[in-house]
Amino acid sequence: MTDELVISGLEVSIGANKILKGLDLTVRQGEIHALMGPNGSGKTSLAYTLMGHPDYIVDAGSVTWRGQDLLALPPDKRAKLGIFLAFQYPSAIPGVTVASFLRNIYNAIHHPKPDDETGETSIKYTGIPLAKFRKLMEEKMALLKMDPSFATRYVNEGFSGGEKKRLEMLQMAIVAPQMAVLDETDSGLDIDALKNVADGINATLSPEMGVLMITHYQRMLNYVKPQFVHVLLDGRVVMSGGEELSHQLEANGYDWVRQQVGLPAGTGDEASAPEPVSSH
Amino acid sequence: MTTSVATAQTLDAEAISRISDHLDEADWLRSLRGEWWARASATPPPTGDEEEWRRTDLAPLPRQGELLVDAPEVAISLPGGAAEAGVVVSDLRAAVRDHPDLVQRWLGRSQGQASHAHFWALAQAGWTGGLFVHVPRGVAVDGTIVARTVLDRNDVTYLPITLVVAEEGSSVTVLDEVVSPDGGAAWYGGIVEIRAEQAAHVRYANLQQLGDAAWNIGAQRVVVGQDATVTTLNAEVGSRVTKLGLDVDMSGKGGTSRLLGMLAAGDDQHIDINAHQGLAADHTTSDLLYLSALYDRARAAFYGVTTVEVGTKQTASYQECRNLLLSPKAGAEPIPVLEIMANDILRCGHGATAGAIDPAQLFYAQSRGLDPDAAERMIVRGFFEQVVAQIGDVAIRERVLAALARRIGSTEGMA
Repeated sequence: MTDELVISGLEVSIGANKILKGLDLTVRQGEIHALMGPNGSGKTSLAYTLMGHPDYIVDAGSVTWRGQDLLALPPDKRAKLGIFLAFQYPSAIPGVTVASFLRNIYNAIHHPKPDDETGETSIKYTGIPLAKFRKLMEEKMALLKMDPSFATRYVNEGFSGGEKKRLEMLQMAIVAPQMAVLDETDSGLDIDALKNVADGINATLSPEMGVLMITHYQRMLNYVKPQFVHVLLDGRVVMSGGEELSHQLEANGYDWVRQQVGLPAGTGDEASAPEPVSSH
Repeated sequence: MTTSVATAQTLDAEAISRISDHLDEADWLRSLRGEWWARASATPPPTGDEEEWRRTDLAPLPRQGELLVDAPEVAISLPGGAAEAGVVVSDLRAAVRDHPDLVQRWLGRSQGQASHAHFWALAQAGWTGGLFVHVPRGVAVDGTIVARTVLDRNDVTYLPITLVVAEEGSSVTVLDEVVSPDGGAAWYGGIVEIRAEQAAHVRYANLQQLGDAAWNIGAQRVVVGQDATVTTLNAEVGSRVTKLGLDVDMSGKGGTSRLLGMLAAGDDQHIDINAHQGLAADHTTSDLLYLSALYDRARAAFYGVTTVEVGTKQTASYQECRNLLLSPKAGAEPIPVLEIMANDILRCGHGATAGAIDPAQLFYAQSRGLDPDAAERMIVRGFFEQVVAQIGDVAIRERVLAALARRIGSTEGMA
């Protein structure tokens, strides 16, 4: 069993549209990969497919994580195996505080056994003791330089774009996944917010964690340095390289890649794929 | 020991007087019952053509059950010091016995909501139990009065009265619970009257956990005096059918009412609420918020009317009814109506929604490791938070959430 996410020959449709057309990519734990591509190339479709969004139908190919078939599992089971998706457009959950949400997802994934030292005699198991969880949360919020009042707000309700992305990073820090897919975590952020979020990613990264950063632009990669860069065009990874590839892309644009790999030139700004889920 | 005086079908003036015989009642109460029986007879039951009644068919109402004349005592928990301060909290029968003058002063003085006038009169004539709360002028009851009625029969007709009177400048918090066994088609026709005199503060929560075959035909009347505030919470968990009339009389200048509702229904439950917010005095405020979570084939109807009376100034009101449909076969019909007859209003609005959980929300929660049931539970609990956050009394909040858990699942782990 290898600690790697292996995507092989992946073909995915939404409705009648074929979006991914034979995508191959391998990400090992401890590696940071950037997947870059223009609008409509299939970036978000890949992220949703990896997490098991029901609207995305896998027509062919496979995705394995540590040798296990991920595609056969519902989203919650994937999360329990250590996969995490930072959403481009996270949903609001009105009436559920950030603290409560974090505690719920921590319990769902980690199922800690009742601590014998606390002398708990309660038969009904309710997950991590509240005080212990509070400590964990405060620690992670401090790490991400977040105001403690954040914890009492309702999940993503009335959040700015930057706040939503920071909450995604806080969730990642709490859950401590082994494989994180960051879907356009830089989108919609001004430069200060971007720096802030990138700091959060860097603070959360660990040698045990694999990262697939999906992005349209190079700018995020100035703050979170990838070891591997891939270009996604028309549903396939058409080019892979080291960090320098992102600078080449920034300088030359996606049409340069198309020329290199013999694809017809794009329209400059390809139409985005239909957004499968409503955002808030 | 059970004495049969009548069934709802055979209820008549003579049966009403047998109730008085059985309870050994004084003349004033005998004649009061008689007057109300005359009104009940003169006010025909709804036909189903009325706007308020067209969503609930009364034909299957179980009228054959005998009238419960030996109702169990209401179990009361009274905060320390309340009795010494002159607060009376008691089973209504005991209150008639122990505080006849006080009860006579307040019982049966109010007309019910027009649409529920028949059932209101029926209970005033045929009540055989209930709760009486009286808070003297200026007394603030610290803590929560909990009154719990546990019915042990599910095949009877029971028409109890809850009467809460808060005199000038007093304040009180009451949790009024009713529980009955599943299985039998009982008719529960409880009515509630809440009177907050000038500058009084009343918080009243009604937690209904009737058996799964019970018919609950209730009516509540809230009278808000000058500068008084009243918050009511109706948590509807049990019953096969609940039909509730909620009438709020804002006739005291500067009065405020907050009307909260939480409904969690499943199976073939049917819940139909008619609310009336009557803004009849200047500077009155009345805000209503009813939330329903509907599972299986459950249906919820809400018909709410806000009336802003002619010549009133600077009133503020809102009615909001939101329904979360957790099954494709569940349904909701929220109908808000505004009747504004005054020009000088601060606000008068309404909002009504009915819909399923956003699939994006579900996917988001599932992607974090919550299985679909846990994800749904969390979202439903969040949906109710809009009301829960307004329940300031911890005892009430915990009791109500524990009761709702029967439908919406445990809310453990919600910080």
